[in-house]
Amino acid sequence: MAEATATILASGEAIAARRRFRVLRKLLHHRSFMVGFIIILLMVTAALCAPLTGVDPNRMAIRFRFRPPQENWWFGTDQFGRDLFTRTLYGAQLSLWIGLSVAVLTGVLGAAIGVLSAQFRRLDSLLMRIMDALMAAPAILLAIGLGAALGPQTHSVIIALVVAYIPRTARIVRASALVTRELEFIEAARVAGASSLRIMFKHLLPNASGPLLVQSTFVFAYAILAEAALSFLGIGPPPPAPSWGNIIAEGRQFAVQSWWIMLFPGFAISLAALGMNLLGDGLRDVLDPRLKVEG
Amino acid sequence: MAGWLGRAVLTGALLALLPLPTLPAAAQQRGGHVTYASGGGIGSLDPHAAGSLVELEVIHHVFETLVAMDESYNARPMLAAMVQVGDQARRFRFSLRRGVRFHNGEVVTSEAVLASFERYARVSTNAALLEDVAGYDVPDTETFVVRLRNSNAMFLEMLKSPTYPLAILPTDQKDRPVREIDVIGTGPFTLDAWEKDHHLVLRRNASYSVDRSSAGPDGLAGRKTAYLDTVRYEFLAEPSARLTALQGGQADAVSNLPADYIRRLADRTDLATLQVFPFCQLMFVTHAGNGLTTQKLIRQAIRAAVNVDDIMAASGQPGLRNPSLVYPGSPYHTGDGASAFYDRRNLDEARALLAQAGYKGEKLVLQTNSTFSYMRDAILVLAGQLREAGVTTEVKVVDWLTNSTNLRRGTGNWNVTATGFCTQPLLGPQQWRAQIYINPHIRDRAGLDESYRRMFASPEFAPRQAAWREIETLLLEQAHFIKVADIGAVRAYNTRLQGMAPYFFQRFWNTWVN
Amino acid sequence: MYRTILMRLSQAVPVLLIFSVMVFMLMHLLPGDPAVAIAGPEAPPEAVEKIREQLGLNRPLIVQLLEWFAHLAVGNFGESLTLKQSVISAVLERLPVTMSLSLISLLVTLPVGIGLGVVAAYWRNSWIDAAVMITALLGVSLGWFPPSGYVPIDEGGLWGWFAALIQPAVVLALFQIGFLARITRSAMLDVLDQDFIRTARAKGVDEWTTVAKHAFRNTLIPVVTVLGITLSLLIGGSVVIEQVFALPGIGRLIVQGILNRDYPLVQGTMLLFGFAFVVINILVDIIYTFVDPRVRYG
Repeated sequence: MAEATATILASGEAIAARRRFRVLRKLLHHRSFMVGFIIILLMVTAALCAPLTGVDPNRMAIRFRFRPPQENWWFGTDQFGRDLFTRTLYGAQLSLWIGLSVAVLTGVLGAAIGVLSAQFRRLDSLLMRIMDALMAAPAILLAIGLGAALGPQTHSVIIALVVAYIPRTARIVRASALVTRELEFIEAARVAGASSLRIMFKHLLPNASGPLLVQSTFVFAYAILAEAALSFLGIGPPPPAPSWGNIIAEGRQFAVQSWWIMLFPGFAISLAALGMNLLGDGLRDVLDPRLKVEG
Repeated sequence: MAGWLGRAVLTGALLALLPLPTLPAAAQQRGGHVTYASGGGIGSLDPHAAGSLVELEVIHHVFETLVAMDESYNARPMLAAMVQVGDQARRFRFSLRRGVRFHNGEVVTSEAVLASFERYARVSTNAALLEDVAGYDVPDTETFVVRLRNSNAMFLEMLKSPTYPLAILPTDQKDRPVREIDVIGTGPFTLDAWEKDHHLVLRRNASYSVDRSSAGPDGLAGRKTAYLDTVRYEFLAEPSARLTALQGGQADAVSNLPADYIRRLADRTDLATLQVFPFCQLMFVTHAGNGLTTQKLIRQAIRAAVNVDDIMAASGQPGLRNPSLVYPGSPYHTGDGASAFYDRRNLDEARALLAQAGYKGEKLVLQTNSTFSYMRDAILVLAGQLREAGVTTEVKVVDWLTNSTNLRRGTGNWNVTATGFCTQPLLGPQQWRAQIYINPHIRDRAGLDESYRRMFASPEFAPRQAAWREIETLLLEQAHFIKVADIGAVRAYNTRLQGMAPYFFQRFWNTWVN
Repeated sequence: MYRTILMRLSQAVPVLLIFSVMVFMLMHLLPGDPAVAIAGPEAPPEAVEKIREQLGLNRPLIVQLLEWFAHLAVGNFGESLTLKQSVISAVLERLPVTMSLSLISLLVTLPVGIGLGVVAAYWRNSWIDAAVMITALLGVSLGWFPPSGYVPIDEGGLWGWFAALIQPAVVLALFQIGFLARITRSAMLDVLDQDFIRTARAKGVDEWTTVAKHAFRNTLIPVVTVLGITLSLLIGGSVVIEQVFALPGIGRLIVQGILNRDYPLVQGTMLLFGFAFVVINILVDIIYTFVDPRVRYG
């Protein structure tokens, strides 16, 4: 019996490895995935290159306020005379950092909750009731409340968004894990005496990784948008930190005379969200067998 | 603007004799409806508990007080015809104007005045105003006497307070709990309809008892005449919504707008803007009870780094430079005395003071709020200026309520914050007392107490002025308060509306439509 | 089926209980004092203390929580601290705005979203989201979209009501259209690939009938399942849209309530929100049984 299990697992792993390779090749040939990937790559590069402008993003020069885009100020200047090109680049750092941390933390915690619920029936009802309760409020309201309670820090924005997005991720992972749980080889592993921990880490989690990854890309995109919405309501990262949402919120007051303040970070947010979604679409097409692969 | 400022200098007595210069020659017409886009909603119309501008703008059309603010914000009798001060400013005898009627037809008697004072002492947010009252006398139906325990030369100035106004209500309102009165006053308008958080309609009080002792309206007092049939207040919290309402013709006048919006009205000949000064004072408050700013030298270093023009340019608000805590035009204004502490814009001085204080790069926390962008912008510019002086700064942006609560309690670990003082400074030095004493971290109270004691006890002006100078100097020299500027409000209206004059509160008496 | 609905409702009780405790704790964790909001920024400290006492804010949290629950148990949602009206009446007053906004928005979302999905238009929801968000902000700031407020139907007539809301509703709809279009599209692709469609085509049924009659009906099944999500997205989206367009709806009520620390108002309204969310999901499940005859509640 033990031998048989080993064989099944070995062949299972081999199949998984081959499948991983095939997935990678499919992704490389997937048009929208590659476009999204390149957009995100460019944004990350831009974010990392921000210090190369040699300008302090928070340095004010009131004399040079409200300069439209021109040679010295590619994206113009804002009400404090700060260089908007530099601020938008540093904004990429902050906004992408928020997106990434929210996506990763939501993914990790959501996966943990989802897998635990699927594995332990007793925990399931409690955890899912809490998730339902969290889902009963619109995510943005939850984030507003949490953001205000945790105080004006970038990390409170991150925590607020993570809490708001966990329930959906947890549900997706749980649904996938519940299906996996009933598969024969899990049954076999269990009979062979595999621990709950091993089953969760070796089987339930890897099998839920596809949907989880797809969901995480969307959470990434939502987080970037939500940061803008929270900043608009005054609960974003604390100024003068140059997040895209902050630049837009601060520029809103001057939208008539100085349209460029909102324009570039607005464009950047759209582009980042577009990139992440193309990436996510590609992943979904390749990883989620229920949907058709295109181009 | 200049003409108006000039007028503000005139005393109330002079004003009474002169026709008001801003009134155009066009003939006033009775009738017409006006819609006013006001700020967010109204919680209650109980004057004794009303502190918000939106509420007060309605309340001053419906209710009146014994003594009210005139055009230059000094005290002037309104429901009283005359006030006699005696017993070394311990006894105030009010003779009521004859024949004034409430909206329900009842005559205003000294009984009603007594009932209103007693209710005020019981429910008002500002009940402290009457703390020192020893007793009231009602010798006849037209005379009301207030007796104080201690001399208070500023009592009438305090009594005129347009926030938490001590409005006279009908006698039967005496036992009503706070915020649960019938909206019955003596003002030129009556309440017609009120849908909470949405709109409110005032109607001309056809049987209004006009104050004939005055030639024209004077601030909140004087000869007030209602021409308009109705005034509809639309409560639009969002400034852009107010602006659109004006542009689209749904509103004839709008309350405070961001200064930036003036540009959008520039090409509309049928719309005009008003800049209202004085409106607020923008001030940095330092926390003398927390961390770095417990040191006077650090507070003074912060003051040295302040560049007023940069702050005002960035905030986009209409502002006037003013080193004093009182407005120009007030007899208490101290131009020269305060200017040594004003707009230093001297980074070298700041660095020197920091070095002297032994500053070693510790973090200075600047707290501000996201609700009022001019406060936030002022703090952001200050943070920039301090960074250049070599200070490590951290800006914390919270919502306004947190900011405000932290300011009052000294909680929330901050060193500097920006705030706008609005109604209280308008009313003069006596009103600053509460605003100063709110700050738990201002420790040297003994000096303040002594100066204030002298200010209230002196029947003559000169010693009162001297006492106020001591107080102001103490606050500014110690850099508890760092004055930035006087901030104006921007309002706009449709030019079919006539007789609009800039004043702290938007008034609809003596305005009419063509 | 009634038994199922009852069962679902009873399952919702613990969820709402957890939810209300969460909202209560969150509100009371917020720094800032509602008494300061009521008294005004320049009020003397004694006045603020007086208001705190009047409101019972000095008592221990657990007492306040239990008192709230006791009132809820008899259907009393309490009294708003800042509006001086009951939470229920404050909500009822603003409900028409949010309902109208959501309704008009849904009327736009459903045909456009499903239509676009059916013609397999490939819209990316979040890119649209971002563009829409920015356009809305920029548009309102620049005056492209006049935030003209809300006109009740009994005042402005059907047209006045509709005209005032159509712009924010379209903006709100754009947030959802991409999402719905995507779901519809993938569902449609799935269906088109199935045997019975191939059979229909093979039998020579014309293409229009095939798509319209056979494929479309089956496409609706997954679409209906996401309708609940769409509705909750609508409500969430309306929070932001109401802020941007200055519409006096529930979203604005809650945000203002949070800013003013109006504890009973936010707690009560959120609880009603949560309840609505639960009911919507039950309704969606019921509609589901009508669209998909394979699903039966027993």
